[in-house]
Parts: sequence; C-alpha cells; structure tokens
Amino acid sequence: MAEVVFDQASRIYTPGAKPAVDKLSLTVADGDLVVLVGPSGSGKSTALRMLAGLEPIDAGSVRINGRDVVDVQPKDRDIAMVFQNYALYPSKTVAENMAFPLKMRGVEKEERAKRVREAADMLGLTEYLDRKPKALSGGQRQRVAMGRAIVREPQVFLMDEPLSNLDAKMRVQTRAQIAEMQNRLAVSTVYVTHDQVEAMTMGDKVAVLADGKLQQYATPPELYDRPANAFVAGFIGSPAMNLLELPRSSSGVTLGGIEIPLTREVTNAVGSRDKLTIGIRPEDWVLESTDADAGSVVKAVVDVVEELGSESYLYAHLAEDTATKIVVRGPGRVKVRFGDPIAVRPTAEALHVFDVESGERLD
Amino acid sequence: MAVTTDTASDERTTATDEAQVPRKQRTSGANVWFGVIAWIVGIAFFFPVFWMVLTSFKTEADAYTTTPKIIFEPTLEQYEGVFAAGIGPYLANSVAATVISTILVLLLGVPAAFALSLRPVQKTTDVLFFFISTKMLPVVAAIVPIYVVVNQIGMLDNIWTLIILYTGMNLPIAVWMMRSFFLEVPGELLEQASIDGAPLWRTLREIVLPIISPGIFATALICVIFAWNEFFFAVNLTAANAGTVPVFLVGFITSEGLYWAQLSAAATLAALPVVLAGWVAQNKLVQGLSFGAVK
Amino acid sequence: MIDRAEGWRRRAPLLPALVFTIIVTQIPFLLTLFYSVQSWNLVRPGSQSFVWFANYVDVFTDSQFRQVAINTIVMTLGSVLIAVVLGLLLALLLNRQFVGRGVVRTLLITPFLITPVAAALLWRTVLLDPTLGLVNFVLSPFGASGTEWISQFPLASVMAALVWQWTPFMMLLLLAGLQSQPSDQLEAARVDGASAWSVFRELTLPHLRRFIELGVVLGTIYLVNTFDTVYMMTQGGPGVASANLPFYIYQRAFLGFDIGQSAAMGVVVVIITLIAASFALRLLFRSFSVEEGI
Repeated sequence: MAEVVFDQASRIYTPGAKPAVDKLSLTVADGDLVVLVGPSGSGKSTALRMLAGLEPIDAGSVRINGRDVVDVQPKDRDIAMVFQNYALYPSKTVAENMAFPLKMRGVEKEERAKRVREAADMLGLTEYLDRKPKALSGGQRQRVAMGRAIVREPQVFLMDEPLSNLDAKMRVQTRAQIAEMQNRLAVSTVYVTHDQVEAMTMGDKVAVLADGKLQQYATPPELYDRPANAFVAGFIGSPAMNLLELPRSSSGVTLGGIEIPLTREVTNAVGSRDKLTIGIRPEDWVLESTDADAGSVVKAVVDVVEELGSESYLYAHLAEDTATKIVVRGPGRVKVRFGDPIAVRPTAEALHVFDVESGERLD
Repeated sequence: MAVTTDTASDERTTATDEAQVPRKQRTSGANVWFGVIAWIVGIAFFFPVFWMVLTSFKTEADAYTTTPKIIFEPTLEQYEGVFAAGIGPYLANSVAATVISTILVLLLGVPAAFALSLRPVQKTTDVLFFFISTKMLPVVAAIVPIYVVVNQIGMLDNIWTLIILYTGMNLPIAVWMMRSFFLEVPGELLEQASIDGAPLWRTLREIVLPIISPGIFATALICVIFAWNEFFFAVNLTAANAGTVPVFLVGFITSEGLYWAQLSAAATLAALPVVLAGWVAQNKLVQGLSFGAVK
Repeated sequence: MIDRAEGWRRRAPLLPALVFTIIVTQIPFLLTLFYSVQSWNLVRPGSQSFVWFANYVDVFTDSQFRQVAINTIVMTLGSVLIAVVLGLLLALLLNRQFVGRGVVRTLLITPFLITPVAAALLWRTVLLDPTLGLVNFVLSPFGASGTEWISQFPLASVMAALVWQWTPFMMLLLLAGLQSQPSDQLEAARVDGASAWSVFRELTLPHLRRFIELGVVLGTIYLVNTFDTVYMMTQGGPGVASANLPFYIYQRAFLGFDIGQSAAMGVVVVIITLIAASFALRLLFRSFSVEEGI
C-alpha cells in the first residue's frame, strides 16, 4: 500500500537542453491507477522510468510512501514493472520467470511455488507454466509479465505501454482484465500509454503530458469536460474537439457569419482579447435544417461521412470559408453524402474557450 | 531494434498458434532453370575439393594419369603414408595452437565485449576503433621485430609463441563479433533483472549467457578456422618442433609431381577440420569476417 | 555522470584484452619503426647501426619494389573485383527458391574454408599442371593443352586461386544483403509494374551498394596480406613476376636477412594500408550506424 509522489522531478539528458521531464509534480493516491498519457516524446515513459529507478532524477524528488527514492536502487524500491515487450527471460520457463524476482529476494521455495500457482490461476496460465516464452502467443506472454509483477506483491505496479504489442481485440480484453485485477489487488499503479482511450477507460486519474510538462492531472470526466488547455482539449476525445480561432464580436465570437454568444463570466474572463480559440466537441453541434435562416446557422459542405452504426461523423468545411474544417456528430443513419450542404449550430453552454497564444482555458 | 525483433517473433508465434502452415512457394519454370544453373556452378566450385578427396584415395599410379581417372580401386595407403611421413606431431601442434588460442580469445574477449556493449566504458568508440585498426595493419610489417624478439627470448619453434600470436590475431574480430551479439540482448531484460534484484553476475550467467551462447559458439568456430589456417607466423617462427599442418604441407612443393595422391591426402587432412567447422558456422561466417557489420 | 569507482568497475573486464592486444600488436610496429632506421643484417652480427632514412631511400630506388607494389595492387584489387562480380551473380542465383539450395550453398562456400596452403598446393599441382592438370584436360578440346599456367601466367594463376577462395565469401556477404532487403519493397515494385530488371537496377542494386562496398573493403584488407598462396604456388617467381609485398618483405627478411631494409618496407606498407584503412574504417562505421550502441 503506497502513495507515490513526484515532487518537481526533472530529468535532463544533456545539461542546458530542454528537460525530458520538466518539474513534474503529481501524487498517486494509495490504491489508485494513474495513467500517464501523451504523444511520443512527451516524457511519460521517462517519468515512469524515473519512478522505477532506471533513469536518474536530476532535480526534485520522487517519494514512495513518504520515502525519498532518488538514491535508491531499482531492486530496493519495492516496485514491479511490466515492460512494453514484456522482458521475459527467454531461457527460463513461465514458472521460473514468475518465480525469479521472489528467488532474488530469498523467498522460500514452497512459498515461491504457491505464489506462482496462485498468480497463474488468476491469469489462466496454469497449463503453460512449463513452457518457454518462445512457445507462447503475444497475449500469453503479456499475462506472464503481469504474473511476474503480481507475485512480487509490490508497493507499486509500473506498466509501460503493456498493451501496445497486442492486436485490437486482445487489447480491449486485457485492458479490462488489468483494470479488474488492479481493483482487486488495490495496489497503486502507474500506467503509461499513448492511447487516450486506454487512459480514459482505465485511469482513476489521468496525467496528460506534452513536451516533458504536465498539462493536466484530473479524473477522466474532468479531463473531458474541462480540459485545462487547448492541447488537452485536442488530445482527449476522438474524433478530436474542433478548435477554431475566431474573432470577437460585441457579445461573443463570430463563426461562419453567425454570432455565438458567450456567457457573462466568460466575457469577463476574456477581457480585451480580440481573438479566441473556441473548442466545440463533435457532439456539441446541433444539425439544423438547411432551409434555416442564414443568420442563425453555420452553413457547411460535407467532405466525408463516417458511419459507425450507432452514430456518424460528418467532416465538412464552412461554405463561406473553405479553409475552416469542422467535425460534427450526427445520428446513426444520416442521409447526407459528399458535397451535400448542411447547417449546424453550436450548443452555447458546451463551448470551451482558450487563449489563442498560450492555449490556457479562460472560463 | 529489439522492439521489431520481438514483434516479429510475436507474430510468428501467433501464426503457429492458429496452426497456419506457411504457404509453400510455388517453384515456377524459371526457378527450375536457375536451380539447375546454381547446381552446376556449385558443383564446379566444389569440384577441385572433391577431386582432392578422391585423389587422396588413389594410388600414385592412378593419380598420375593423362586422362583423369574417376573409377579406381580406393586405398588408404596415402593416409598411412602421410602419417608415416610424420604429420602426427604437426596435427597435434595445430590442435594445440587452435584450441588453446581460441579458449584464450574467449576468456579475454567475452568480458571485453561486455564492457563495450551492455555496460559500456567511456570512449567505447575509440576502443572499438583501436581493436579494428589492428586488423587493418599488415602482419608482414610486424613479422621482422616479432622474429627478432622471439629469437632473443628463445621462443622460436615453440607452440606458445603461435598461441599468443593467434590470440592477438583473433581477439579483435571476436570482440567485435561478440559485442554485436551482446547488443542484441534487449535492454528491457537487463532492466527487468535489475528491478527483480538480480546481481550483475547472476544476470549475466542466468539471463545474458543463455541468449548469446550460440553467438559465442559461432565466434569460437571462426577463431578456430583462422587459427587452423594461419601460415605466415607458423612458417616463419616454427620448424620441426612446433610446426603446424600448413607448415607440413610446405614439404610437398619441393617434391613436385611425384606424390599427388599423398599430397591430396595431406591436404585433405589439413582442410577437413575447418571445412567441418565452417559448414557448422556458415550462417555466422559473414558476421565474423565483417566484424559484425552484416548479420 | 559515471563516477570514478564505477568507471573502473566498468573498465576492469576490458583491460586484460586491451592490454594484451596492445602488447601483441602495437609493440612490434613500434619496433618496426625503430629497425627501419637501422642498418642491420642478421648474418653479419654486430652490423647494427643507425642510418636515418637510408633504408627508405633504398626502398624507393628499388625497381623490384615498385614492380612488387604494382603486383600487389593488381593482385588485390583484381581478385577482389572479380570475386565481387562472381559473388554477386552467385548470390542472385542462391537468392531464389530451388531444390537443394542449402546443399548448393554448402558446396559453394567450401573453397573459402579450405586451408589456403592446401588450396594453393591443389591449384599448383592437380589443377594447373601443364600435362596432367585438370584445367588443361578440360580445356584440351579448345586446343589449350600444354599451357604452362604457373610459369607463363604466374600472377593470373595466383589470382585464379584467390578468386576461387574468395568468391564464396563475397557470395555469402551479398546474399546476406539480398536477404536483408525488405520483401514489401519488392512486392510494392511488382505491384507498380516494374520488370525484374528494373527492380534489380532501381531497388536491389542501391540496397546492395553498402554490401558491395563492404565486400571490396574487407576483401582488400584480407587479400593485401596474401602470403600463403604466393608462397606455395609460385614463390613469387619467375623473378618477382608474381611477388606481392608480403612475400617480398619476407624474402628480404628471411632469405636476405636484411632487417633494416625489410622493416622500412614494412613501414611503407603500413602507411599505404593506413590510407586505405581510413577509408575502410569510415565505411565500416557507417555500416554500424544501425547500432545505437556506439
């Protein structure tokens, strides 16, 4: 049982250059599963490896259960890690792989066998215990790696893109399995992924990183509903939020010839800026009749229609400004086709307002 | 690199799991002809070797004919003759020089390759550069002082002289080659072992060595081939006591034309061990000779 | 980053090999340098004296040395280039599917494995003998019988043996190159409608370029040191017609016992080799760029 704290932790590969992880501060509450998510090069794996002790912490500190681990060897941090490529020892059988960390810690032979058996049961690996990793499928290898972490009964699980080598179906299955197991064992877990769906579905809390900096640390619904900046807004959600740079009008902003009003608080927060980045999620458009009054709707022309069965996404460009593209969620059976005109109206309450320069949320 | 290898093997396992038999490539008409040509060329290249072995089972009379004889009564008398002429001690010297120098190469080379790969020293590139550059300096430029020094310390015609020189000759190749095998060990495995709390020597013995042992074996075979075939040092620094098999063969150039069958028997004995070693190591030959540049 | 103690811990496994290699390979070269400015003949004890660059002057005024240097270049580059071309053809053949491919490959590499001394002996007698050799027997329908290959074409004879031994190596190297070419590229080209010849010229050959360069460089490094084949087949003769530098230096040192002179030649060879090797090393390191380890 442990709380993990990153306190202004930094990793600087070359002095003077941009840090790989820049003053990261966040707390993983005991028993939580926290996902570090971000595009490649965002520093999420580096942050995890700092926690594991595989990368030095150049500034700040990392604490596990209140103990500063900056100078502590990986083996003494009481953690277990699942690697992207599973890192199974090829010369050892499944059982030997899972028992190895226990053996290194001087756990008695019977106790080792018992714990390996239990973990194998839980993961459905019992019949494979005598096989070598080479003779396993990708999903089985992944489970062995999980098993090796579980038998340790560590303070913290670290997982570095553990699902990225599985096919789509296995990934969804294993995702649920990991979440379920983590709930059951209630071991604090730090999980790295580049896949925002994984982050949203698995994390108790999600930390979005970009360029080595923490962008936002929040629960998945918060992240979705109130992204802290334009980067998070664009990163979380699929298809991505429409981010449009729009000029101010007297009481709001102008889009495609219509005025979108802003609430009083927003207007106050915006101050004297004459341009704003407005975020509108695809589902926050209302499809209107194309006959509607020109002043009340935005006219657009459809480029692509993606029909997903239960819903559809219309990719379109504005009729009067062809360079501006928007994505609109529509019903499952939509009639429009390529080249058709549509008319849409954003839901005023669902707007996200960001500063054009800094990308910071204003409301 | 490690990532792609792993994914590839993943896919392979998945494929076998689903019991997919790889489709057999259809041999098209053109390929049949290419196959025939390849067989003809292969046999042509191999023919002198075949002829050498064949001749070694002939009598001198059968060997020495204007129309080459393919059908004859095989005899072992040439091999008996070669041993009577005293190839035995030369063979023993060759075995000693080859085996001991190869063991020394591995004892010195495995740790060095480790220090240049998994836990690299500073200036790794410079050290590697140094090792490889020693292979580019012509031995002929070193033979004079080697001869003088060996002569002065009374080590001429001593098998240990050859052992030391062969170790020095093969060590750079072995270091480069084994380094390339060490680098193929995925870094994740070592990190996992460090998290698991395995001490370094244990990680090496239990995890790294099993992975690279085929590579070490191939390296050893290549060292065996080079040491066995070496001639320059052997002919200049040894004589009757420490001479190796190639030195024994020199005796045949003076008695030209008279003993083809016996010469063939001696040449076959000289070539046989390395031909076998080379056949076993053929997949790694190029890697060794290109200092690990080509896998 | 790495502290001193850790630095030495890391260096410790390397040091024995490094020290050994320096002693065995570097000290002789330093001595060569030292001897090359001495006049010293082994058969005249006490003749050792310091003569500055007299030996070098002798080397460059020695017309035989020039002949031998030219021989070395012809022998090395000629054999390497022929072996590369033949090796490429064989590699292309072996890159196809056919029955018994593994066996053919094994047959083809055998000449490379044969002890060079034994191979040279074989060529000198069983293959190239003017009256009873296999080569003249095979060529006799074409009226070539009785050709005295070794004495009439000594350099070419030596080169034939070298090409026979080294073509397999080039084949293996280029075959590795061919097999490292991603098959999706070739499939893409086929889908794009490229003919076999244009696939070869536009895709395969550029891909093989690195391997061909590597073959030339490695072949040169190994073959410039050729000694056994010359020694066994021709003894450099007639005259110095088939002598290369290693053999000539050997003759000077061990038949002429002229230590100073042969050391000076050795230094010249080293300098020439160093120039060639610097190209070679650059090429090799470029080949290693795939390894992030460096």
